[in-house]
Amino acid sequence: MDFRFDIVTDYMPFFLKGMGITIGVSLAGVLIGLILGLFIALGKMSSNRWIRLPFNIYINIFRGTPLLVQLLIIHFGVVPLFMSPSNPLVSLVIGLSLNAAAYIAEIFRAGIQSIDRGQMEAARSLGMTRVQAMKLVILPQAVKRVIPPLGNEFIVLLKESSLGSVLAAPELMYWGRAAAGQYIRVWEPYITVALIYLVLTLSLTYLMNYVERRLNTDDQR
Amino acid sequence: MINVKNLKKSFGDNEVLKDISLHVSTQEVVVVIGPSGSGKSTFIRCLNMLEEVNGGQVLIDGKDLTDKKTNINEVRTDVGMVFQHFNLFPHKTILENITLAPMNVRGLKKAEAEEKARTLLAKVGLAEKAAAYPDSLSGGQKQRVAIARALAMEPKVMLFDEPTSALDPEMVGEVLEVMKQLAKDGMTMIVVTHEMGFAREVGDRVIFMDNGYIVEQNEPKALFDAPQHERTKSFLSKVL
Repeated sequence: MDFRFDIVTDYMPFFLKGMGITIGVSLAGVLIGLILGLFIALGKMSSNRWIRLPFNIYINIFRGTPLLVQLLIIHFGVVPLFMSPSNPLVSLVIGLSLNAAAYIAEIFRAGIQSIDRGQMEAARSLGMTRVQAMKLVILPQAVKRVIPPLGNEFIVLLKESSLGSVLAAPELMYWGRAAAGQYIRVWEPYITVALIYLVLTLSLTYLMNYVERRLNTDDQR
Repeated sequence: MINVKNLKKSFGDNEVLKDISLHVSTQEVVVVIGPSGSGKSTFIRCLNMLEEVNGGQVLIDGKDLTDKKTNINEVRTDVGMVFQHFNLFPHKTILENITLAPMNVRGLKKAEAEEKARTLLAKVGLAEKAAAYPDSLSGGQKQRVAIARALAMEPKVMLFDEPTSALDPEMVGEVLEVMKQLAKDGMTMIVVTHEMGFAREVGDRVIFMDNGYIVEQNEPKALFDAPQHERTKSFLSKVL
């Protein structure tokens, strides 16, 4: 098998541009997903079952259906209601955020509920409100415990952003498919794209490990 | 100071407190004893609404905690609580554990709260531990910090829920010593404990609970030396 490096070099500017978009879209998805996820987690832990219900439904729908299906519905069904023409990058960010929010909500909920009940009781017995106790006592401890599963979720999200190629969002995978189509070649574009994804996820793993270590040494002197 | 009227509490079908009435005066030290499962921990947790009650009234300083209109957070600032498992905040230093509520609930300035915290730490004999984290303390030290943390809110009443039950035997003394001093200073206290020596020495009144009722209450000497009820006799014969 001859490996045509000229295809790789030809397309490198596009791959790099795509990589930038992949990073941007993933970052946006994670940030929005974190905010929505925290909100959903707190909603799902409400003592009122009618408040819990919509959050439960949300999580079940977004975890229970394929992201690809969600993306197609959002891009071709939902986003056109608000903007025309529909922008694939907007759709991709919306889809990734909403999907990630469901998983992140469950991560947050598990993290918060893993904190000993006595912590909440001690905080409340000192006169703190529920919100103060959450903010000052529970969440700071929960954050440490959710870092590893959140890191996992970020990696999953970064890889899943490749589904954006189906919407013709010009992220990394899109350019891989474009190169494959233009040269009618499989190995060069896809291996290159795979390697770039690998570099991204490994960097992320390294970063998360670093954050984890920092948080651990911070608290336990 | 504390007035409990016909208090009832169930967990599902399990009726834990059947009909408890109790009056505690200012500066009184009431010690609650009884076998496991008698409802004494549940009872003391009802006094600051850590457990929702199913019937009756709990009045603290004239405020009815069972009334929906009562601001429970405000009442809790006047009711300090010490737990069996300390429940210190592990992500905060000892000093921060003590200043957290005064600063955020009472609105104290940092310098003011820290000064008070250091005074309290000195009082419980842990002045040098201000910058340490709870993980590095022994059980007895943790419990003394927990007492200081509760005192920092300047409560009118202190509740102790089996404060020495999770401690190694040789650490029980140091915690009881702090509680004894507190009682001497005139703090109103309700103490759930298995430490009969403490009950006898420090208590103004001892309450024996069993099966969701107050079976018998009296001055420590009278209750320990001449219990009236069969149930009290058999319990005391086993623990004394």
